[in-house]
Amino acid sequence: MNKPPLKLSLALAAMSISLTACLPNEKQDDKVSINKNPFPSTYQALPQQNTLFTNATVLTGTGERFDNSDVLIVDGKIKQIGANLSADNVMTIDVQGKWITPGIIDVHSHLGVYPSPSVESHADGNEMTEPNTSEVWAEHSVWPQDPGFQAARAGGITSLQILPGSANLFGGRGVTLKNVPSHTMQGMKFADAPYGLKMACGENPKRVYGKRKQQPSTRMGNVAGYRSAWATATEYKRAWNKYNNEYDAGKNPQPPARDLELDTLKGVLDGDILIHNHCYKAEEMAVMMDIGKEFGYHSGTFHHGVEAYKIADKLAENQNCVAMWPDWWGFKMEAYDMVEENVAIVDAVKNSCAIVHSDSNTTIQRLNQEAGKVLFRANDNGFNLKAEDAIKWITFNAAKSLGIEDKTGSLAAGKNADVVLWSANPFSVYTQAEQVFVDGAKVYDRFDEKYQAKSDFLLGQE
Amino acid sequence: MKSNIINLNQINMKSIVKVSTIAMTMLVGMVQAKTTAIINATVYTVASQGILEQATVIFDQDKISQVYANDNIPENLNVDETIDAKGRILTPGFIGTMNSLGLVEVSAVSRTKDGGDDKADITFDASLAFNPKSTLVAYARKGGITSNIVAPHGGDKLFAGQTFAVDLSGGFASITEKQNAVLVYLGSESKGSRARRLQELDNKFADVQKALTKKQNSKEKEDKEKKEPKRADKVIHELLAGEKPLLAYADRATDLLALLALKKKYGIDLILVGASDAVLVANEIAAANVVVILSSIDNLPSSFDSINASLTHMARLQAAGVKIILAPKGESHNVNQLRFDAGVAVANGLAKTDAIAALTANIADVFKLNSGRIAVGKNADLVLWSADPFELSTKVDDMWINGEKVSTRSRQDALRERYTTSSDMPRAYTK
Repeated sequence: MNKPPLKLSLALAAMSISLTACLPNEKQDDKVSINKNPFPSTYQALPQQNTLFTNATVLTGTGERFDNSDVLIVDGKIKQIGANLSADNVMTIDVQGKWITPGIIDVHSHLGVYPSPSVESHADGNEMTEPNTSEVWAEHSVWPQDPGFQAARAGGITSLQILPGSANLFGGRGVTLKNVPSHTMQGMKFADAPYGLKMACGENPKRVYGKRKQQPSTRMGNVAGYRSAWATATEYKRAWNKYNNEYDAGKNPQPPARDLELDTLKGVLDGDILIHNHCYKAEEMAVMMDIGKEFGYHSGTFHHGVEAYKIADKLAENQNCVAMWPDWWGFKMEAYDMVEENVAIVDAVKNSCAIVHSDSNTTIQRLNQEAGKVLFRANDNGFNLKAEDAIKWITFNAAKSLGIEDKTGSLAAGKNADVVLWSANPFSVYTQAEQVFVDGAKVYDRFDEKYQAKSDFLLGQE
Repeated sequence: MKSNIINLNQINMKSIVKVSTIAMTMLVGMVQAKTTAIINATVYTVASQGILEQATVIFDQDKISQVYANDNIPENLNVDETIDAKGRILTPGFIGTMNSLGLVEVSAVSRTKDGGDDKADITFDASLAFNPKSTLVAYARKGGITSNIVAPHGGDKLFAGQTFAVDLSGGFASITEKQNAVLVYLGSESKGSRARRLQELDNKFADVQKALTKKQNSKEKEDKEKKEPKRADKVIHELLAGEKPLLAYADRATDLLALLALKKKYGIDLILVGASDAVLVANEIAAANVVVILSSIDNLPSSFDSINASLTHMARLQAAGVKIILAPKGESHNVNQLRFDAGVAVANGLAKTDAIAALTANIADVFKLNSGRIAVGKNADLVLWSADPFELSTKVDDMWINGEKVSTRSRQDALRERYTTSSDMPRAYTK
């Protein structure tokens, strides 16, 4: 964990003359700057069709429900929602009895990095070689032919964050994808979505590295690991700020040596990269919040917060989103204190941000049902939640966690037309996603094979 | 120290009260047998009577004693207790299969795990380790599960041991049947070839059968001198005699066909488990009258053995005439999700009555349990649902195991209550 102090770039040092480096008005070398987007999105919307859905039950994703409502999609955007809409040159579809919601968003997926088939050659989700691998990016492991993407699309998933695994304190960068078929990762990449940094609390890192007789082997070892990394990153950030300030003042300073690991941590300190922290337990989340405050970054979204209900007030107060399962438990000690109403208890606090996530190539296909289980178990036990509340957990709040809530995650004029048409109430076990749209383009249709993509891997198999 | 002593005294007091209550209950029980009638129920009998509307089910102690259709209900039921179902659905209790319920508390804590052992062989009886007080048992009841087939996962040997049947009452007498089926895991291997295990299985049956035939043909005098067969061989005898099913985990169609061939060759009672490729050989499986235990939600090609995985498998096998049992792969902690998995199967083409049979009667038939149906003489394992049992919005309103009403309250409820009850004191004081 303990990084050596900043390495000086020997090559650059040899080229410049240190005595003259700080004199004003000297000839400046080209300014060294870090390209924050070296693998840009090449995503293009699929063929779009301006569409007017009529007579739907609409859940906006932001707490509203409209019955017998129309939804107008024009040029890939939500144009209008309301009664008796009409528009020229649109395909009008009467969807009486069916429901429309925003596209479903999963903030925690390993599709593509732990794809199907789960053969050794495909296990690309965990760089388990040192506790801090902030330098790795999940997008470089994404296999876009994972058949799981199509299965998730059939369940209404339109955007998803692919994260590295949780073996490490810092697992690396996550990437947000649009769930469209492509044969490159860049072809799926959600343009302008901030990167995520995967961190992990608790049992996994201390088990993986403890077995190797190296730090961390305890939870206190975990925390020492986070803090020393942030301390180093703080120096790195300061070095770059100093370089930029001096350069901008006309000097010709020595640039800090590039360090890919610290680039990511600095991105967090700069507010460009959002924290996504695998962290089950109440006391650990509370510590992670304080570490964020100590080093001046926001502790972001807690994932798998099985014990979030124990600190619901604190999470809302600190503005943390929490991504949770409805009922997974018991596979580790840190997952022992599950309650089925966890999401609802977190959600009940003002300014909260409760999310239902999957972390599974199976339940991602029915994230609506995962949210439904919470909705009904909570109502069995004194809550009074409605469909329009539960849909937030898998749409708007998820978009907020990923920093894309200005583009998707709700049905509102001007938003991307990421839309699911459901056969009925999405919180019934029998309901199916019938049609799925990303940016107003149909990417899935249950009744039309033309809109059912198939991975290269499955092509020609018998 | 002092407070400890006081606590001990309190515990003793409590136990004394408890013991006397139990004694009184037993006394009452001896004086008069308790009979209960559930009236106005929509009864899924999963038996010859099919679905009965406004029906009455009576159970006397632990057994169902009467099932009346609405046009056949006597005026005076003469029962001790009457429960008005008000049209709600009554089903047989659901039955979990192929999980480690009671053999695991926390999967990553090895000292809470008793389902496997390197030295486990065909005689391995994990029922000795079954813990009815595991928190998983009460949680499973929330899903309307009243009994369960527990499957160990064995060790290095060809056979993984034997399954056993339990009820989910949570009592110390929960085990209803020990060693009721033999387990074998087949299919792709990370080291070596899948062929070896299939071959070993074939050879095992051949060798034991040969020895058995030899023994039967030998003279009585020699017979007396012969040793008892080894314990392991006795189990093979039971398989060869069709007295006990062989539960074989396999996915690829070639493995399934190889197992069907073994069934034909040795007359074993074969049950296929997993069976991702079963739809490819559905007609062969149906013709061989082999039951398939499978998941309804594993639709991804997780390996080259399951390229054809799909959400429609249960419906397609049922349509091909195969008897099916629903069991999520390896699930123990969330086995109460069975009913939702059944809902997914229904959403993908399986008839609702067939899905209920896949959670009840079909399991009872394979494992020879006296439950899984609402019919006279069957165990009173019953669940009264708030609505459609498969729906997310539905919950268990009441349930009975062996005629005893059981609670669906679990540790999870206690935790929720602690953290949703306001108090000036730390949460630890809210109990």
